[in-house]
Amino acid sequence: MIIRRAISAACLLVWAVSASAQTPPPKAAGGDAADGAYVWNAMQGEKLVALGARGDAARGEITFEICQGCHRTHALGRPDGSYPRLAGQHITVLIKQMTDVRAGRRRNDVMLPFIDKHVASPQDIADIAAYLTKLPSPPNNGRGPGSDLARGQKIYEADCVSCHGQGGQGDAAQFYPRLNGQHYKYMLHEMIQIRNGMRGNSNPRMVEVVKTLNDADLEAAADYLSRLPTGQP
Amino acid sequence: MCCAPGLGLLFALAVMAGAARADTAALVASQCMACHGDGGNSVVPMFPRLAGQQAQYVAKQLRDFLTGKRKNEVMAPSLAQFKDADVDGLAAYYAAQKRTPITPGNDKLLAAGKALYDDGNTQSGVPACVGCHQPEGLGNDRYPGLAGQHPGYAATQLQQFKSGARNNDRAKVMRAVAARMSDDEIAAVVEFLASLP
Repeated sequence: MIIRRAISAACLLVWAVSASAQTPPPKAAGGDAADGAYVWNAMQGEKLVALGARGDAARGEITFEICQGCHRTHALGRPDGSYPRLAGQHITVLIKQMTDVRAGRRRNDVMLPFIDKHVASPQDIADIAAYLTKLPSPPNNGRGPGSDLARGQKIYEADCVSCHGQGGQGDAAQFYPRLNGQHYKYMLHEMIQIRNGMRGNSNPRMVEVVKTLNDADLEAAADYLSRLPTGQP
Repeated sequence: MCCAPGLGLLFALAVMAGAARADTAALVASQCMACHGDGGNSVVPMFPRLAGQQAQYVAKQLRDFLTGKRKNEVMAPSLAQFKDADVDGLAAYYAAQKRTPITPGNDKLLAAGKALYDDGNTQSGVPACVGCHQPEGLGNDRYPGLAGQHPGYAATQLQQFKSGARNNDRAKVMRAVAARMSDDEIAAVVEFLASLP
């Protein structure tokens, strides 16, 4: 009982931290973190297995078939932001997000049935990531309106660049995603989800940052990002 | 001299292979053709067209029928007439048949059906069918072909996946997809599938 109460208190604390949350973030559903408070990117469970596996890009291309109905061939996603571009993303990020979605740490009911444990093993996840990371990310991603780029650059360089890098290349070792080449509307949607405590697996550091930004700030930053040169800086 | 046993073995294998083909042909003629048509080109909308279907898919369905994972009362009498050892021969037979074109019933639905097939529905989360079932609807080793299928049969299967009445899809994936499809989308996409050569 005492332990359970302590866990509840810890959960409340986490919820309180993600201040503007209108709905509480999801609890891990039978996943790696099912036993307690959310710890960002805790290194355990099948994520570790997948990260340690030797991914096979040729196998990954085949396994990815089930994903391309949404993420499209060559994993370019959709410019309307409904599905993100995955081409050229870091292996670590891809594995983290796939395992987070299916463990319930990241809330994504649309994707959940297609990354179920019966669909893909941790080896399959490593294979998919090995395939996706090698795909080119051409400069045909969805862009913003281009109306407030100076503001976007200022915000990006003040608040985002320390993690996501000058060129929006992210940081594979830190599990920070590549953002260059990503669709504007997808980035904007995710920033708002993160700010509003709806994404579930957000880095608390990022939540703190985006909490200070209003919608126009986020639009400008996402717009600036969507125009950074794509590919591998 | 040393070759004689080898030749004998080859001869025996050839005879067995011939026997297997003869068995398959007899099974097709006695158990399958009445519903699935000549060469698998069924003319009755409730019976699926099997001509040119992916062998892996036919084999999986037949084994699912035999083990009860997929249930169909109409198939039941025929299922009693063959066994697991016959499945691969039947699957290879139908995969090798040439599909004849059929005429879709409702041309007005083709454009909407093609849009769903190629792009899915981002509002409701229906993935584009093309992702798995391939351009031209031909399928591959892992996913069934859908081209030239009877609209009535395809619609029934989608509705059964949607309701869960059919539940032998891998990892519930088709059930998840069909559950997101509206009746209008089902009606449209099956017309498009039928129109594919």
